[in-house]
Amino acid sequence: MSSTEQGTSSAAPAEPTTAPESAAAPEVPESFYYVHGKDKVVHKVSAGALQHSALIHGMISNLGYTEEQAKANPFPFENIDGDILQMVVDWCNQHKGKPTPPEDTNLPKQKEKLFDLVLAVNYLEIKELLTYCCKQVAMMVKGKSPEEIREIWMIPTDAEDEAAEKEAKKRAGKEAAGETAAAAGDAK
Amino acid sequence: MPIDLLKFPNDLLREVFRLCDPFQLYKLSKCSKKCSQKAITLSERKNWKITYCGGNVITIWVDGSNYNFNQADYPEDYFQMSLGRYSNYMDIEFPNGGGADLFIYLIDTLGIGSVKLMEITFGTIANVAKVAKILADRNMEIEKFVIGNVEEVQDVVNFMTTLSQMKISQEFHCFLNFPPDFHFEFVKYPRKVSITDSSWFTIDQLLNCTSVWIELENSSFNNHDLDVFLQEWKKTGTFPNFRRLRIQSDLIDNRSPILEMNLPIENVDYPKIGVSINGHSEIVDPVRVTKDDGTIGWLKVDVGNWSELNFLIADPADTVVEELLWWRNSDDETDED
Repeated sequence: MSSTEQGTSSAAPAEPTTAPESAAAPEVPESFYYVHGKDKVVHKVSAGALQHSALIHGMISNLGYTEEQAKANPFPFENIDGDILQMVVDWCNQHKGKPTPPEDTNLPKQKEKLFDLVLAVNYLEIKELLTYCCKQVAMMVKGKSPEEIREIWMIPTDAEDEAAEKEAKKRAGKEAAGETAAAAGDAK
Repeated sequence: MPIDLLKFPNDLLREVFRLCDPFQLYKLSKCSKKCSQKAITLSERKNWKITYCGGNVITIWVDGSNYNFNQADYPEDYFQMSLGRYSNYMDIEFPNGGGADLFIYLIDTLGIGSVKLMEITFGTIANVAKVAKILADRNMEIEKFVIGNVEEVQDVVNFMTTLSQMKISQEFHCFLNFPPDFHFEFVKYPRKVSITDSSWFTIDQLLNCTSVWIELENSSFNNHDLDVFLQEWKKTGTFPNFRRLRIQSDLIDNRSPILEMNLPIENVDYPKIGVSINGHSEIVDPVRVTKDDGTIGWLKVDVGNWSELNFLIADPADTVVEELLWWRNSDDETDED
């Protein structure tokens, strides 16, 4: 099982799992990799847990890093907030080597982080977690009226859309006029 | 906690839309024009099915549940919902074009791929015809189409041209009594055809029919027609899909044989038997007939007050031939009496 470390990593090599007496062959020690988000906090995660992420799995599948090399080269995900990456890592650890049950009780509950979580999970290509998160998003509006849906999903009305479009056009016109004036000034 | 949904990239929006139920997607489409457009663009073709009988309710079937869109009488009722375990209801405002326009809106906006049932009921022919024309133009599959015994017979007669262009895949049921000069040819036969007033259905149509299951009541077929059909069936390679035929006709009598057998045709020996397909549509006491390629069929023809031919093609995978114990028991009781 992986652990999460604050700051730079100083993890000890992974301990091999004790093989059952009846097992014929000794188990191969598990390999670990390191990831960090925007906050630079490094998380140590087993290759088994990272298999949930198609993106990371693709990155590490042919690396053959030693423990030291992995520690020295954490994967940077600068576009993901540290707390979001922590949630993702926790989920991957909890579901290491097993499929997600249809009613998963070990899923992130913080609804206020859902938007960022969905984007992160989508980026990291964690299909099962993405489906769950999107289901959470969909469930937010179950039984709600269009007005409530508009509020919950921050959907502008037609009038607001039209006003925004007008504003954008106006801005684009001003910018074009500014560029023309600047070009004329340059020509002088 | 609000979430800025439209800031999601399209692939994520598509995934969220995929996980919404029909009511959620419909209401989302009503949030704004932009949302409606997004829903149309991003809703993937689903295995949802829709049912329309031309009235004020349209039902969408999702796995084991159904979502019913009802026409609301008053604006204050719009979007009022009743959600159950399997059946869900929502009152909505129907568009000016009525149910037909709503039907088209729903299949376009929600990405619905096929129609489970369409039915012409009293006063609905205009709406059904409007939708049917569009479905025919789009070559969209309709699993089951029903024509009820409605009063607008001429309207239905006029509609039949459209019907012939529709892609009805599973069942066609007709309960209407057409005028005597009515004629209609199927371009493509659905899996099952059931017609309660089938006097217009000719023997040539029966010979060309590719359906698996055919039920014709009030037919104009006589003994000769049925003999022609069964002689054709006996030939190797004919009617490859055919499994069950039931024809009721007042013109079936005991004056001429069918397949060289005098009528009535039934098993008169003991034990009494019943032959069925997976326990359904049993024929009691049929006789065994054999096709030239060895395929077995079971035939019974009754004459009298209710003259009817029943024919079933056996398939070892699903056909059950069994002794009728209830018959033996009733005989025993009679003996005791």
